[in-house]
Amino acid sequence: MDDLPPAPDVAGTSLDGTKTFTITAEENAALCRSTGVEPAADGSAHPIYYYIATQVAMGKTVAGVCETCEFDVDDGPMMGSSGVKFSGQLMVGESYKVTGEILSLVRKKSRKLGVMDVLTYRLRLHPAAGGDAVAETDNVWVLPRKELAA
Amino acid sequence: MSVSVGQALPPFAIESVSPDAMRDWSTFLADPNPIHLDVAVVKAKGLGDRRINQGPINVAYMMNMLMQAFPGCRIEAMDSRFLDNVYEGDKVTASGKVTAVDGNRVTCEFTLDVAGRGTVNAGTATISV
Repeated sequence: MDDLPPAPDVAGTSLDGTKTFTITAEENAALCRSTGVEPAADGSAHPIYYYIATQVAMGKTVAGVCETCEFDVDDGPMMGSSGVKFSGQLMVGESYKVTGEILSLVRKKSRKLGVMDVLTYRLRLHPAAGGDAVAETDNVWVLPRKELAA
Repeated sequence: MSVSVGQALPPFAIESVSPDAMRDWSTFLADPNPIHLDVAVVKAKGLGDRRINQGPINVAYMMNMLMQAFPGCRIEAMDSRFLDNVYEGDKVTASGKVTAVDGNRVTCEFTLDVAGRGTVNAGTATISV
């Protein structure tokens, strides 16, 4: 690794959003059916909205996050893992806002992928009206650094 | 509900992953990445010859398996690792088993498998039942 330039120093970059995300009944129903299930009758949204709402309402686009990491989104970021902790259910008709930050960007060498940067970021989903987060997610993306391949 | 360690969870299957769903999810995710929409782009990138399912859809399949195994449950925490791509036309099956029970809190491990190719996602979840 000594011969490689360091990964950009992006830890701490804010991903706080400025817009709200509302889970509509129409979209929730379409989303549920696209995954092979009917929407819940109790007003709860599909829990995968933890990922969708945080991605859509965070303070940067996917391309923008990549750009912060000095990575071209067209080079193909790959999802490595996704974790979530819920403190409440996500509800249809509710609006949410996002806070978050990049936790780390670590340069590694992989036998399969060559040089890559491993990006970890954390996003929290809060009721738009205020209050504690109802979900917190840590996502890991792999950014292949083809230009640094030996 | 009686739950015991080692109990297998009923599988949840999608017979054929739909490119129409991928198009819908491009809107849901506000992410028009063409590898989910355009076979020509997938081929040009050397990623195969079929459109690639968005990763969060695969997570949703595994959530569906958990929620159908425990009707009325609430997922408290879930971690999943992405091991390989899912392509249009793939048959995918989410399955799992109970690894711990603590009162009304159940911990499970699970996988998402593609027919003929093996495991493409794997993870753990804690559920309140």
